Parts: sequence; structure tokens; C-alpha cells
Amino acid sequence: MDLAENIFPILEERFAAKRELKDKWGLTVVVSKTYLHPVVEFLKNEAPVKMEMLVDIAGVDFLGYKDYEGPRFAVKYVFKSISQPGARMQLKVFVSEDDLTVPTISDLYGIANWQEREVYDQFGVVFKGHPDLRRILNHVEFVGHPLRKDYPAQKRQWLSTNDFMLPELEKRLETLGYKVIQRSKEVGTNDNEFLEGSIKG
Amino acid sequence: MTNEAEKPNIITSSLDFIVNWGRTNSLWPFPYGTACCAIEFMSTEVGRYDLSRIGSEYVRFTPRQSDVLLVSGTITYKQAPILKRIYEQMAEPRWVIAMGACACSGGFYDCYCTVPGIDHIIPVDVYMGGCPSRPEAFFDAMFDLQKKIKDESFMKQRAERVKEQLEMIKAKTEEAKKEARELAHEKIADFKDFVVEKEQQMAKKAQFWKD
Amino acid sequence: MIVLDPNGEKLNLMPLNVGPSHPATHGCLRFLAAMDGETIVASVEEIGYLHRGFEKMVERGTWQQVVPYTDRLNYCSAIMNNIAYCRAVEQMFGVEIPERTKVLRVIVNELSRINDHFVCVAAAFQDLGGTTPFMYAFNPREEIMCIWEKLTGARLTNSFSRIGGLYRDSYNGFEEDVLNACKSTEKALSDLHACLDRNRIFLDRTVGIGKISKEKAISYGWTGPCLRATGVASDLRKDEPYYDYETYDWEVVVGTQGDCNDRLQVRLAEIEESVKIVRQALKRLAPGPVDIVDPRIRVPAHKMAYQDMEGLIGRFKSVYEGIRVPEGEHYCGSECANGELGFSIFSDGSGHPWRIKVRPPCFTQFAAFHELVEGAQLADSMAVLSGLNIIAGELDR
Repeated sequence: MDLAENIFPILEERFAAKRELKDKWGLTVVVSKTYLHPVVEFLKNEAPVKMEMLVDIAGVDFLGYKDYEGPRFAVKYVFKSISQPGARMQLKVFVSEDDLTVPTISDLYGIANWQEREVYDQFGVVFKGHPDLRRILNHVEFVGHPLRKDYPAQKRQWLSTNDFMLPELEKRLETLGYKVIQRSKEVGTNDNEFLEGSIKG
Repeated sequence: MTNEAEKPNIITSSLDFIVNWGRTNSLWPFPYGTACCAIEFMSTEVGRYDLSRIGSEYVRFTPRQSDVLLVSGTITYKQAPILKRIYEQMAEPRWVIAMGACACSGGFYDCYCTVPGIDHIIPVDVYMGGCPSRPEAFFDAMFDLQKKIKDESFMKQRAERVKEQLEMIKAKTEEAKKEARELAHEKIADFKDFVVEKEQQMAKKAQFWKD
Repeated sequence: MIVLDPNGEKLNLMPLNVGPSHPATHGCLRFLAAMDGETIVASVEEIGYLHRGFEKMVERGTWQQVVPYTDRLNYCSAIMNNIAYCRAVEQMFGVEIPERTKVLRVIVNELSRINDHFVCVAAAFQDLGGTTPFMYAFNPREEIMCIWEKLTGARLTNSFSRIGGLYRDSYNGFEEDVLNACKSTEKALSDLHACLDRNRIFLDRTVGIGKISKEKAISYGWTGPCLRATGVASDLRKDEPYYDYETYDWEVVVGTQGDCNDRLQVRLAEIEESVKIVRQALKRLAPGPVDIVDPRIRVPAHKMAYQDMEGLIGRFKSVYEGIRVPEGEHYCGSECANGELGFSIFSDGSGHPWRIKVRPPCFTQFAAFHELVEGAQLADSMAVLSGLNIIAGELDR
């Protein structure tokens, strides 16, 4: 509980943070969306106990939660300290259905890129400023966000083709400083040319 | 002392028998391993269980060189087109074993992302239960498959295929003939018009000369 | 594709697709690499080929029904996942499990860690072209599998742990079996070291390949053996000790370079430490109960259900309705074979989990894959991939 005494008052003072009372076992702090990026930056660089590692980002949908009033979605960030082993804390941001955006923290932590993509894929929460926000676990033709409570668990969606990664590769090349002059020819998986030599072709 | 060459060394047999004998004892699997069952397949391969006892140790990771597609693990919708394509790339004769509950029926993942059984995508010869299947079950499935292969008749299959091809050739020639006939009809019709025109011209000419 | 490189020179790159069905991709990983000759210039990864909907499925069952699903997360060390999940829920209840259960859990935990590391190391050498270590490593593994069969009834997906206890107590002769497994593990270890430590081909292919710095590894959220290989002594068994791990005599294994060789050597050294812990734990194994006696958490024993009305009701309720975990949110991470396996649990106080988010260790390691392989040869990417030990079931859930 020393962590709560150390960090929480500063967060409360500087960022108007509140404690999440539902977490009776650890320290969970609720901050508003606008403060999220500064809070994370503070935790990473300046806090008395520095949180070097982003362990997890979890989305949650509160549709139909008993006696619950408030924004429908929440995003929870789990942090862990390496310099002071054993220190952990969680941040929680509420996201309402009207404004499904959260500022990204992928510029601070490398892993946030994929974690945020996952939350976007499963819940449809859009991370503003994310470099490459697209689906990660579900396929490209998937419609809807499966972990929302109103998505029927057995609603299946077939994929007709294989997904394509060339545009992402070009993007990655451009971040590395390369410039694409001529694109390679795109061959779809159902084209005869691709299946040449197989019995279909 | 009898010479080796003097011994009777000709065995008479049916071609079916000899082909099936060859096929059953050298089934090269393509391990399409996605999940837990693939780990059990690894156990089957090594020391204690030793897959080479039934001539299947030669695991090929390319569909073009393998006979048995061994689907071990859950197939999701994202993976389904890939599995289908790999099956299409395999050369005949080919067989498919669905290893484990997930490949057979989706297992206990009755969810938005898992295919409820690979038989929605490709035909399956042998189903294996278990989550994951034990190595013994795997051997059992291989024996079942061998039995199935022994019952197959290479000659019959070939005869059927020849018949199919003959029919196809017949149908194609029929089509070609029909097309040719239609073309000829058109041409004849054109020719008739041409002849009529010519006759008219000739008549005109004759009229002209008469005058 | 034709590109201009940062110096303004024209390059003709070839996009090359690897996976998802590739012998070295251990299940279903896929990456698309832009190749300049044999060198990888850029790479993008794609996952989700084994996304089985763990998080949607668990919302439909009771709390106990989650346990079999956790088996299939990291199927190389299934028991560890069970224990990690049960520990998270037990923390929410605020109960202490009996002493014998703690020791038993430590033993099976470490045995599964040995199992997992053996699979990783064996598969890595298989991918690099060495078949012999594969056979060496699978012998003790099969022995441990035999123990699992006797103890739990299953070879791979055991579902051994229960919330507030274990599925059953150990059988007669468990200790000898475990000791024998330890012996053969040590023999296999010495065989593996003899095979690999001075093997020129192996060293050429792994030393200095797939290097990552400490800071980057932390930024990518790496945990477990892969992080320790970069030189960070971070192990949850020491940092946030549970099940009295701090009282055993063992060391956190740390690498120096953070390359592919270090990752595999750290794993081999961790097997040694695990054997040490198992030996000590066997000495502490004292007779006693394995389940806590509380019908709200653990199903009462058969004997109680047959003789006692209370026990019958408790059994009926806990099977029919499921246990009711106190309302709240909790994150609990345990040190598993690949790193920190965490469960973010949201409970609304009913018999069904509201949401359980898994924090898979492989996910973070594979997210940094492009950093490791860019600039390396294509053949190196296979060495890197197997050194990371990506388990698809855990990666995609």
C-alpha cells in the first residue's frame, strides 16, 4: 500500500485522478481521457516509482452490468515497475459510446501499438494518433466487434480470401526511411496465376 | 546348392494389391499443426512412440510431396482459406485425418471465430477424438486409414477416371461438333445469300448484254 | 517492389511471405518480409490465425469452467496456466490454500516449466537442423508426461488445479517418480550441453543473432526468460513471491547479450534451477489436506455430499450455479514458462465471469519480432523465432 501513499496523492493533485473502489486488492486509478497521455508520461519518467513496463491493456464493456451507470466502455492499463520490483498499478479510462476515442500511448511504449490494436479489434475503441490502427486477431472481412456484450457469441463470419499485407509492408518500409517507387504486382489468392501448378490451375 | 536365380522368384499378384501395399506403408504426412494436437504429434514422432514403425516418419512440410494431410488443431475462419488452398495443392491420391476434437467438430470452442469442424471446408477420411488425441489414438487412426486404403482399388479408380475422361472427351467433341455445325449453318446461310446476290448480278449482267 | 533507400539508391526488393503453415512457425504465425537478396530489410507480422475466442467463451460459463480453457493457452505447460488462473481468483476471495497444496503446486509448476523449456529448446534445434537434441530433450519430457497421466489422467491438457485446491491429491509413489524424472532431466541436460555448447554450427547461427537491448525489451513489455536473457533480473517468483518461492534456494538466471543463444541457454539453466526447486519441495511435502473447506469456493468432497445435507446442498449449488467471486476488478500475474501470464478479472459478483482478459507473454515478444530480424538473414529469422518460443494458443487466445 506504500505505492498508493507515494504516487496516488500526486496523481490526485496534478491530474484530478480518482481511486477505483472496485479494485480492493491493488491500486487502480481512474483518470479522464484528456489527462491520459500526460499521466502515463509522468508515470514512465518522473514518478517516485517509475513504471517502466506496460504490462497489459484490457478493454471492458459494461453493457448490462448490474446497477451500473456511466460510460459503456472502459480501458484498463496495467503497469509494472522494473527498477522497484513488485510495484504495480493500473490506470482506468472510461469511454462513452458517443465518443469512442482514447489518445494513444504507443509513442511511449513499444507494446502499446499491438495492445491498442487488440482493444480496437475487440471493442471498437479508436485510439487517436495510433500509427497503424487495424484489426489484429480477427480477419479483414469481419464486421462488428466480437467482445462487445451485444455481439452474439455464435455469429460466425466466413473469410473468402486471404488477407493481404503488402500495404503494411510498404508502410513499414517508409517508416524505415525507404521510398517506394514501384509497387509489386498484387496477386490474389483466388487468381489462377497464384494456383498455377495446383490441380485447380 | 541351388542358385539364387534358379529359385522361383516370380510372385504373381494383382496390381491393386501391390499399389495399395506401397501406398499403405509409406504414408507421408503433412502436419498442418496449429495447436495443442501438434505437440502430441511431436511426441508421436520421437522416441517413445516412434511414428517410423508404420513408415510415416518422413514428415513433409510441402503439400506437393505428401499423401496425408494431418489437420491437428483448431481451424479458425482466418485460417480456413489457407487450409483449403493447401488441400487443393496436394497431389492425388490424398487423404485427410482430422486430429482432435477441434478439427473434428470445433471442440468446445463454439464461438464466432472457430470453424465447427474442418469438414465444412475439405473432405475428411478419418476422424480422431480426444483433446488432444493421444499418440495411441493417432496410431489407431493411421491403421484405420491404411485399412481404408487397402480397400481402395487402384484399377477401378483408374478405370473410373478413364471413363470420366472419355465422357468428358465425348461431351467436348459433341460440343465442338455442335459449334462447328452452327458455324457451318451460318456460313451456308451466308453463302446462300451470296449465291442469290451473284445470281441477281448475273441476271442483271445478262439483261445488260441482252440489251 | 522498387524502392529508394535512405541514401537515395535504387533497390529491387522482393516481398516474401513466411507462414502461417511453415515448419518453423510453430503453429500459425505469419510474416511478410521485404528481401534484398538474403537480407531482410523490413518485416511485418500478422497474428490471429489461432484466435479461438477464449475471452468470449469464458463469459458464458461459470468460474470453474474457465480452468479447461486456460489449459489451451500455453499447451506446453498447461498446469501452470491453471495455477495462474486459480491463484488470481483465490486472491480475490482472499483465502489461503493449505500448505500441502502450495508445495504440490510448486512441484507441478516447476515440472511443467521443465517440460515447456524442453519443447522450446528441442524445437529450436530441430529448426536449425539438429535432430539429435530433439530426441534427447523429449525423453525426460515423456517421463514427466507419464507422471501427468498418473496424477491427472491426461497427458497434455491436464486441468489439474481447482479454485481453492487441486483436483486430487498425489498418488502413491509420486515422490519416486518425480525424483526419477529429475534424474533423467539432468542426464538429458548434460547430453544437450555436450551437443551444443561447443557446436560450431549452432554457435555460428545463434550468437549475436536477434539482439535486443534492455530498454527496448522493457518497452516491448518482455518478461520471462527472454527478458532475463538481456540482463534484467526480473522474476515474479522473487519479486512478488508466492507459494513460498522465496524460501527455496535457487537463483534467477540472467543472460548478458540478449541474443538468440542467450535465450536458449537461459532456458537450459532455468531447467537446472527448476530441478533444484523440485528436489527441495519434495522434502517439504508433508501429509495434509489439499482443498480448503469452504463450500462457497471449493466443491465439498464426495464423502460430505453423501453423508451431510449441507455438503449435498453445497455441491449442488457450486455445480449448478457456480461459485460467486466477490465483485471487483483485479489483475494478478504469475511467472509462467514464457514470462508473466496475467489475468485481468472483472467480476460483477454473479456466478459467471464478467470479463477475463489474459495477458499472454508471447504476445509482447512477438510484437518486437520485426526489430529482431530486420537486417538479419532470412535463415536467422527461423533461429530467432524458435528462440522466442511463441506458442500460438497463448498468442492469439
